[in-house]
Amino acid sequence: MVKISPAIAGYAISEMIVSCAIFCSISLGVLMGFTSLERNYAATSDFSQNHADEMRISDYMALDLRRAISVQAARNDTTIYIPAYYDQTGNPQTPTLDGQGSVYYGASDSSVKIHYYLMAGNIYRQQDSATPVQLAVNVQDFVFDVTDAGKVVTTHITFNPTFNSGGASTAATAATSFYNTTLLRNSRTDIESSVY
Amino acid sequence: MRRLSTKTTGSILVWTILTIAVLSLIAVETVRLVTFKYQSALQTATWQESLLAAESGIDLAIVELRKSLYPQPNNAWQGWTNAPGNDVSGYELTTVPNAGLSGTPMTIEANVDAPAQLIDPTNFWQYYRIRTVGTIPITGPARASDNPQDTKLRRLSLRFERFTNGLLLAHSLPTDANGNPKPQVSRRIETVVRPVSAFDQAVMSVGVVDLTNQNIVVDSYDSSDPTKSTDGLYDPAKRQENGDIATDGQLIEAGNAQIYGDVATNAGTVSGAANITGVERTDFYQEPIPVGAPSWTGTNSSVTTVNGTTTINASSNKDSAASRYVLTSISLSGGKTLTIAGNADGSQSYVEIYVIGDISVSGTGQIVIQPGVSATIYFAGNVDISGNGVMNRNNQPGDLMLYGIQPPDGASEHVNFGGNSQITASIYAPGHDVTVNGSGTNGHVYGSIIGKTVTMTGVSNLHYDESLGATGMINSYKIVSWFEDNR
Repeated sequence: MVKISPAIAGYAISEMIVSCAIFCSISLGVLMGFTSLERNYAATSDFSQNHADEMRISDYMALDLRRAISVQAARNDTTIYIPAYYDQTGNPQTPTLDGQGSVYYGASDSSVKIHYYLMAGNIYRQQDSATPVQLAVNVQDFVFDVTDAGKVVTTHITFNPTFNSGGASTAATAATSFYNTTLLRNSRTDIESSVY
Repeated sequence: MRRLSTKTTGSILVWTILTIAVLSLIAVETVRLVTFKYQSALQTATWQESLLAAESGIDLAIVELRKSLYPQPNNAWQGWTNAPGNDVSGYELTTVPNAGLSGTPMTIEANVDAPAQLIDPTNFWQYYRIRTVGTIPITGPARASDNPQDTKLRRLSLRFERFTNGLLLAHSLPTDANGNPKPQVSRRIETVVRPVSAFDQAVMSVGVVDLTNQNIVVDSYDSSDPTKSTDGLYDPAKRQENGDIATDGQLIEAGNAQIYGDVATNAGTVSGAANITGVERTDFYQEPIPVGAPSWTGTNSSVTTVNGTTTINASSNKDSAASRYVLTSISLSGGKTLTIAGNADGSQSYVEIYVIGDISVSGTGQIVIQPGVSATIYFAGNVDISGNGVMNRNNQPGDLMLYGIQPPDGASEHVNFGGNSQITASIYAPGHDVTVNGSGTNGHVYGSIIGKTVTMTGVSNLHYDESLGATGMINSYKIVSWFEDNR
């Protein structure tokens, strides 16, 4: 039997312990680095996606507000009425005078109801009784406020960013604010419009 | 030289390749994400810009409509296929370099028509329908957004032209040198514009409005609405708050007026306004459309000048030759009277008088508008009427309309109404200095006054008849309906 020198035998154990410690440290660092990168990537993607959702929701609402004749504003639940421009086949109708200096499409006093609402983590746009269209999915942290100032209407949308594992601070949520102020082109039927 | 073992060399190579592969994948994914986001942002911006292009088309059409209000030659509808009217459409295609990029021009298509359904039966004013399409090319590849919800909202023409229903001129997408379609985004708007009367305000001036210090009360009524008037006449118990005063200039001297309406200047100030029930604005400007001399093909030559007691007969047929007179001047004094006579039964009749020279009524001279007569008087010279010199027996300002023909450049002309306890008329003379003198503490003016400058002295009450807003000369066009067609 070959006898190992005591000096060499002790060195092997300590070397293994040190190498294990170094390996563990490096592995932990790499793991933490990748985890951090992954979380950062997820938070950035989420932020980017949410920002795109904000823009889309805002653009949808601005599209309808520009042509609105009536607005009922409430948090996460806003109803806009637009002229009944299309007939039942989806083609434009010829405008008609109402005798008071205004114009309507279709039957007198007819309009189309557009309902924006947040439900079960999704934001929908529903036109009359048609099937609601999803504008944004998995946006339970979204809040959209609509401020009705008569001739102009401002939409304000926020969400909670996920950069901090402890949840978004008030300041962080406020920093996601997306505003859009829209001039209503038509005279409103629900209030007396000011001069435009 | 020391030689490395084969196993060690291979391990380094594998690790290096693996690292490069991982980094490359991360880089590719990053570039892919960034590219999609960049493209999405670019397409969104282009989509927004195309709305501006479409709205520019509305502006272009309204400019042409307003030009058509000017006396001939007004050069309206030049470059368009037609002047719209009587079911005839006018179409124009405008190309504008977009942000200096001649390779990506903004195109604006505008179509204006005048459907019969858009004629107001009460005054026969024609409303116009304006349909426009604004188009902007999309820079970059013909690739849809990575989010399907985006494509439902921001509809792009990536391979095929979206608007193929022939509402406007159908056309295919432009192509590049290889024949591949160039992507673009188009948005379409339909608006309806209505005519705006020259008498849309109680008082409107190109320059200064001076109400002097008479504590004047300015309010409104509507002679066509029984809830806003009594028997078609002003009733203080039914006072309305649309007695608006406006100037294209910078100054309104309100003279402690009580104004039941809005006050507007062109970036100016309002002094002496003790009470204004409406809003005070500084963003007002209204094009003072000049009045041209009438160019009638036939006239009634039974009277050609008035310098003594005279009768002019109105006609039941509006715009007929029998109802139109051209006078060299009107000069009345010393009890002389010009009677504008209508039908014996007081039924509706019409008269239009074009006075080439001056109108002068002094002393106890008088112009009398008999019941049932709707009189329109165009004057090219000065107007001096004193001492109750006009008697409008209809008591409706819409039945006596005075239009001042635009004086030559540099000429100074005026309209002076003096010493009247009551004036019932509508005056549109944006080239004349207009002065209305009341009879002190009890002077009343019913109607609307538009002048180069407007000065009121001794008038304590000005009552604007809101029904004038639907009659008289058309001065502008206003959008009354706006709809984006986003099919």
